[in-house]
Amino acid sequence: MVEPLLRVSDVSKSYDELQVLKDVSFDLLERDVKVIFGPSGSGKSTLLRCINMLNPPDKGKIFLRGNNITAPKVDLNTIRTRIGMVFQHFNLFAHLKAIDNVSIGLRRVKGLKKQEAYEKAFKALDRVKLTEWADHYPAQLSGGQQQRVGIARALAMEPDLILFDEPTSALDPELIGEVLQVMLDLAKAGTTMLVVTHEMGFARAVASELLFIDKGIIIERGTPEHFSVSPTSDRVKQFLQQLDVLYGSHEKLLDILDEEEKI
Amino acid sequence: MIFQANPFEQLLAVLAYWDRFLTGFLLTMWMYVWALFLGFLLGLLLALSRQYGHFFIQKIAIIYIEIIRGTPLIAQLFFISFLPNALNFSIDIMIIETNLFNRSFRLLDYPIFVGILTLILNSGAYQAEYLRGSFVSVGTGQLEAARAIGMSRFSSIRHIVLPQALRRVIPSWSNEAAYLPKYTVLVYFIGGVEELFSQADYIQHRTSFPFATYIIVAILFLITITLISKLLDTIHKRTSIPGL
Repeated sequence: MVEPLLRVSDVSKSYDELQVLKDVSFDLLERDVKVIFGPSGSGKSTLLRCINMLNPPDKGKIFLRGNNITAPKVDLNTIRTRIGMVFQHFNLFAHLKAIDNVSIGLRRVKGLKKQEAYEKAFKALDRVKLTEWADHYPAQLSGGQQQRVGIARALAMEPDLILFDEPTSALDPELIGEVLQVMLDLAKAGTTMLVVTHEMGFARAVASELLFIDKGIIIERGTPEHFSVSPTSDRVKQFLQQLDVLYGSHEKLLDILDEEEKI
Repeated sequence: MIFQANPFEQLLAVLAYWDRFLTGFLLTMWMYVWALFLGFLLGLLLALSRQYGHFFIQKIAIIYIEIIRGTPLIAQLFFISFLPNALNFSIDIMIIETNLFNRSFRLLDYPIFVGILTLILNSGAYQAEYLRGSFVSVGTGQLEAARAIGMSRFSSIRHIVLPQALRRVIPSWSNEAAYLPKYTVLVYFIGGVEELFSQADYIQHRTSFPFATYIIVAILFLITITLISKLLDTIHKRTSIPGL
């Protein structure tokens, strides 16, 4: 059997009284892409933050290439260089140019010389098609460009996998496409990715499996086909229908508006 | 009827003591610069402790800041000044002096040391709060992003938070830079320090023109503080992040 790149095993997390994750388990193979979706507050972001130990889980274990990273005395800084993270609100370093945002990890964490770090950072910027913007500061870039710098920053560290936390949900509709295109390219190039998103088109194109999370539990999991053809639980059907109304069928949205007018 | 010189003559009489104004002013500025910069280092340490330190260190920083901000500077000056005596020990402070306008000009002795030390301890607490405000304003998102690429907590604060916080703090910090010269005059009350107010006191006794004397003092402060404000304003603009 192939050892999974990432194994999440019975992970639970609570904030005070509120249990955000309950016994979540799944595997992610090398070069695999999985999508996590579900209503807001369901624990999706917390799950990603448990995986790179920004918020360590209360219970359960996480293995990266077979190593238990939830064990005590693990060097988390080293572990985190191997797990990239792309944030919903980009979280770019506001005082640094795009090229420095991408190269700072190489320099300060991996100890590369400036020249060498810049060369690698430039390659990462090339993969997100932003080499011409290398000398711009985050505030001089559009949201879509900022998120692509965020992706390049993760890529430059050459991580084993990249976590995406709703990478397009803070973007204007017109800017979502350029970010999704970059993510599709990465997926096709064999990047291991765990993506929290509601972009079902992206999921259908590259995800091997979708995990639907609600109230901290994986309620249903399956291929993109499974979710588009025969989701089993009512909660998933209801959620997918809402997504469909908002993003898909224009007529249904008009129906809702009509009904509201009648009332 | 007492002879009264006209205002212009009063100013001229007072300005005959220009060397005393100047040495007094220089000593005040000397103490100010030390207090501002060492106070900044203390403030940075306190702000980092309060914002990012462990529980115990946070509490110490909070208690220190609240004690300093909750008591008058003049009381702090007397406290530090009388402390060695009250505890029955003495401190030997090296005397540093030079010559300025044919008069000896003391840069350091015991009362000057007490003045500078108290101003550092006092200003540090205020500067800590300005700095902490700017740490908070940088937000946690960038700190998390830095941790997520494997940067240590120290490195993240040093390379991500500090460069931005130090830029952001300039407008509010300029309050402290503008207040501190005026707090520095309180050193006058420990006595034995020939700073601007003690020189002014000498001059107004010699000339019997207190009004003209303190007008000069006021003008000196006004010019100085205006220049400090302009300078900080320029630094703020020069260091601003493009696009923000």
